[in-house]
Amino acid sequence: MTAPFHSLRLLALFALLACCDTTQLAAATQAAEQAFFRKEVVPLLAKRCFKCHGGKQVKGGLRLTNRAAILKGGESGPSVNLEHFQESLLWNAVTYQELEMPPAGKLTAGELAILRRWLSTGLAWDQSAVDAASVQPDSPPVDALARQFWSFQPVQRPALPKLASTPWSENPIDRYVMARLTAAGLTPAPPADPATLLRRIHYDLTGLPPSPEQVERFLAAPSPKAYEGVIDELLASEHYGERWARHWLDLVRYAESNSYERDGPKPNVWRFRDYVIRAFNQDMPYDQFILEQLAGDELPGRTADQLIATGYHRLGIWQDEPVDRKQELYEDIDDLVRTTSEVFLGLRIGCARCHDHKLDPIPQRDYYRFAAFFSGINRYGIRGADTVARFSLRDIASDEQRKQQQVAIAAHAKEVQQVNRQISDLEKLVYDDFSPVEKENFRDESLKLQIVKKRTGKQITKAQFQQYSDYKEQQKKLKRFKPPALDQALCITEIGNQPRQMHVLMRGNAHAPGDTVEPGFPEVLSFDDPTIPETTKNAKTSGRRLALARWIIRKDNPLTARVMANRIWQHHFGRGLVRSPNDFGYSGSRPTHPQLLDWLAAELVAGKWRLKRLHKLILLSRTYQMSSRDTPAHRAQDPGNNLLWRFEMRRLSAEELRDSILSVAGNLNLKKYGPSIFPLIDQEVLAGQSVPGSHWRPSTAKEQARRSIYIHTKRSLIVPLIAAFDGAETDNSCPLRFATTQPTQALETLNGQFLNRQAATFANTVRKQGKQAQEQVQFALWRGLQRPPQLDEVQRGVRLLQTLSKQYELSADKALEYFCLLVLNMNEFVYLD
Amino acid sequence: MNREKLPSTQSFCGRTRREFLWQTGGGFTGTALAGMLETDGFLTRQATAADGKTPFVNPLAPRPPQRVAQAKSVIFLFMYGGPSHIDTFDYKPTMKGMDNKTVSVKTFGRGGRRNQGRIVEPRWNFQQYGDCGKWVSDLFPHLSTCVDDITFLHSMTADSPIHGSAMLMMNSGKIISGSPCLGSWVNYGLGTVNQNLPGFVVMLDPRGGPISGAKNWSSGYMPAVYQATVMRSKGNAILNLAPPQGMSISVQRKLLDTLREYNVKHRLQRIENSNLAARIASYELAYKMQEHAPEAVDLASETAETRRLYGLDQPKTSIVARQCLLARRLVERGVRFVQVYSGGNHGDSNWDAHADLKTNHDMHAAETDQPIAALLKDLKRRGLLDETLVVWGGEFGRQPTAEYARGTGRDHNSYGFTMWMAGGGLPGGTSIGETDELGSAAITEPLHVKHLHATILHKMGIDPNGLTYFYAGLDHKLVGVEGAEPITQLL
Repeated sequence: MTAPFHSLRLLALFALLACCDTTQLAAATQAAEQAFFRKEVVPLLAKRCFKCHGGKQVKGGLRLTNRAAILKGGESGPSVNLEHFQESLLWNAVTYQELEMPPAGKLTAGELAILRRWLSTGLAWDQSAVDAASVQPDSPPVDALARQFWSFQPVQRPALPKLASTPWSENPIDRYVMARLTAAGLTPAPPADPATLLRRIHYDLTGLPPSPEQVERFLAAPSPKAYEGVIDELLASEHYGERWARHWLDLVRYAESNSYERDGPKPNVWRFRDYVIRAFNQDMPYDQFILEQLAGDELPGRTADQLIATGYHRLGIWQDEPVDRKQELYEDIDDLVRTTSEVFLGLRIGCARCHDHKLDPIPQRDYYRFAAFFSGINRYGIRGADTVARFSLRDIASDEQRKQQQVAIAAHAKEVQQVNRQISDLEKLVYDDFSPVEKENFRDESLKLQIVKKRTGKQITKAQFQQYSDYKEQQKKLKRFKPPALDQALCITEIGNQPRQMHVLMRGNAHAPGDTVEPGFPEVLSFDDPTIPETTKNAKTSGRRLALARWIIRKDNPLTARVMANRIWQHHFGRGLVRSPNDFGYSGSRPTHPQLLDWLAAELVAGKWRLKRLHKLILLSRTYQMSSRDTPAHRAQDPGNNLLWRFEMRRLSAEELRDSILSVAGNLNLKKYGPSIFPLIDQEVLAGQSVPGSHWRPSTAKEQARRSIYIHTKRSLIVPLIAAFDGAETDNSCPLRFATTQPTQALETLNGQFLNRQAATFANTVRKQGKQAQEQVQFALWRGLQRPPQLDEVQRGVRLLQTLSKQYELSADKALEYFCLLVLNMNEFVYLD
Repeated sequence: MNREKLPSTQSFCGRTRREFLWQTGGGFTGTALAGMLETDGFLTRQATAADGKTPFVNPLAPRPPQRVAQAKSVIFLFMYGGPSHIDTFDYKPTMKGMDNKTVSVKTFGRGGRRNQGRIVEPRWNFQQYGDCGKWVSDLFPHLSTCVDDITFLHSMTADSPIHGSAMLMMNSGKIISGSPCLGSWVNYGLGTVNQNLPGFVVMLDPRGGPISGAKNWSSGYMPAVYQATVMRSKGNAILNLAPPQGMSISVQRKLLDTLREYNVKHRLQRIENSNLAARIASYELAYKMQEHAPEAVDLASETAETRRLYGLDQPKTSIVARQCLLARRLVERGVRFVQVYSGGNHGDSNWDAHADLKTNHDMHAAETDQPIAALLKDLKRRGLLDETLVVWGGEFGRQPTAEYARGTGRDHNSYGFTMWMAGGGLPGGTSIGETDELGSAAITEPLHVKHLHATILHKMGIDPNGLTYFYAGLDHKLVGVEGAEPITQLL
């Protein structure tokens, strides 16, 4: 700081000696001081002062963004004394003689030197420099320019780039990718080898490794046709839904408990998970998928599945003991506004809850107009299971099931009646013999048998007592095994056909309602406000959510198809063409390949919103089949691989990792659907619960070995392996998983009970393949890496087994178990090329 | 398509840098990015892993604080359930003789809002202690001897008088579930200087965790690397820290060496992928953690005098004593943030004195008084108190009036309560803020939880309004979007 200070002084001195003209001198000094002001003072003020003394409202009435305002000062009086700067309030404040500004910490000596010079040389000023530095980004206006933003423009199928004379591929995707590569002077990587490609596509479509047989079959004749056959086979496999549903569940903040103090389970929530898996497996058109989740209950002739789909609204956190009940309703609505706008539209409307969006052209009014679509909802519950049942559970039984249940209930009741009569007849024989105390005790169910028993051989025979005892047992059973309740769906309900009036809430405060608003779409997208059909008198809902859903799925909605096409791309390539999949606004990333994205979006709609068709288009591209190998020259030019000159390696997700471990160990239970499972969690982890072990009773070993998508997701007790490997954050929409690397993961996979148990099972599976160490290692590597192992790799394993048994005196079984554990820890096991 | 007047992305949230990392990593790979991007020393964090060869980008690598830090570590003694301030440190002499009198007073607890209530006179006598003459109740015969090192905050307020949300607020700054905790923010901002130990440690009451369990030490929307590690005071200190039964360290070493050979070969053709190198290094770090963490929790080297000082030899105090002693050992070894829970489970297993105030507080004070006083004394005599910030308090305080028609139970009170801090260069022997004459609400210099958080970050050398984490389109801060200044008197 001192160097420019001195040199400028010298410059001023030089000017003085050179011209000796006071006017010129003054001008030169002024210019120097102004330059100094722009260069040094403005950044300092902006950094340390403007936050409190530069915005719309300033603290202590002092504004530092205007020279006159500084001289006028704030509540404590004028802040600068131009004659004697050391008597300035501002100077005293920054030197901590009084007021002590800035309060967060004293300025450095260098910073003080800057202010000293500025204050002592007449408070040079340059308003435009100050304005440029102090302007907080104002909320962007909704105007013609905003409407031209790329993602707000209608999707138009772009023309295909011209083919080169020797084309790489005619696939439209490849043409878009190649066009950009060529322009940058880059070339695509060669095709991945068949084993790599097979592994890639198996994980991609099913989240599971290929079996050794599948690998052998493909490697025997790895033709493009065989590859296409694999794609078709995997897309038809039910494991496809189990993999791709997980992506969707991440987005819609799927979890099976409510968070907060009780973190109680959400009844029947697993049906929503099953619904999503089935929707993917059946290739449900995406527009239908949206309609059913947002407004399945409002669809004419709605089915049970469509009601289950509206469980979408019930997946979030639920505060059953709110500080402020009124505000809490708007927290719930906010959850729906944020999730819905981010997931289906890639818009962060939630940022406009308290004020106009700071980054996107979304005024606060837009937030509340969007919130108005949900203003009729019942909360998830008020407090307690009965209120949850009242607001969020509805029967979904068919007439047939209902009839069957009535028959079963009647039969059960009859049986109960008969047993009770027999019991009371027998009790009549003995009751009069009871002492008053016995009569009192006889009210207690658990004491009855022994009280009656005392009368055996007196008022009743031994046989009669036996009868009594049998009837009591039967009575107990009947109580326990009632006819099963009718199936229920966790779903949305509304307060009636008249929703609450929505207001703009000042600063998001439920107690400060402003203007009333009606349902409407974000203004910048220029759609007419919806006309919501009149509801019938008996209607249970307002019909608003259906209006919203119908707008979202309109073909001319510029966001819906783009956002979904980008997600499909994201999960095939590890990242979207738009890197911020939930944010297509100003602050989101721009697409790396805008035309390709629009082409994919157009294809999605043209293909009647079916996803499997789009998957296949992508998977058949050469872009998808490229090797992930490095080309240093390309990397130097495009280190981020933004132009897609190679495929990106990726680590398995937490669920893929756990499922692979089970699968490779030969232990995976492929049972599908139904209530969730509870894997064993160590006591150390359960100790973190306020009542250790509550709501967590481990399932049978066989059930525990099911795929991870069936694990009960308890918000305050995530299964450690899933948490350690970056499972989805559950309280908000999770569009993108982390892929961290940490030593605690290694502790989990080296020392954890799950891994060690699976390694033991793996060793058993391996042992069945042969007795020789050579065969065992060979098979374990085959299975773990899904490729034929190389000779040196086998030898290394065999050497390890030998060392472990000879040098460390381990049994052959134990040594093999440890080798299997090692395989499950290999980088190649955890990473995909 | 880009409009001229679009807010500059660089200026708002350093997005360009973030995108760079996203793009190079193919996703967020756990590299922390504080708001002070220009000073984050990204390249200097490419430390070398334990094996001396493999470069390892560690998100927990230490980062220099933004300003001179007064404290290097925090020990947060969480009195879960909410201790009664007027029965502990907030002396209310005028309540004497008012027992059972009905007064007009606004209260809000789990029993809802009330405008009047029956006074429960503080059940313990108060005496003055130290040079500062601080009034402390008879609940704390040991802590009362430390008052000259303590700064009391008598005017604390919080947004919720309900455990679930109030706990989240004290730990994460928000009453809504899903945000990272204070300890996560500290580690995100500063990293940890000892790579062989976790940077954020939580120790629980053996009776159970606090309600909402792991949400109280979760990293929320940040990567899991910033969440706390639960450390047990008995048995294996950290989950999975020891090799499985039957596997000796030397066998494990042999396995790791072979694993490494496989991984190195695999990496040969993927040499540019730093994630693979990081994963190789992470096994070496894990191995070192196995070696070092047990030493950190082994109290064998502590003298008999130290053990006695903490109360390790008495059944009543032994658990908290062990935890406090461990806390000292951990901060000595560079752990950034240690949280110790006194109280767990529900009801009287924690400070939540709804029924019999006397029984409840007698029990919990007796368990904690001596160990906590010993912690302050021990830190001080070792010269560690200056660089360790000790924070004491619950999620809220308790009401001056009775919860029920009979009995001495007090309901929750978030309108005014007491917390205290010691060390970290704080003057000690001082008290800030006041509640009214009944202790029902803060009246002078009211402080909010976010001011407490801002002060803690500030003491650690972090600008509470500058430490941001980009998530869901916003630069989030522990102290909220509007920010909060540290408590001025403590700077």
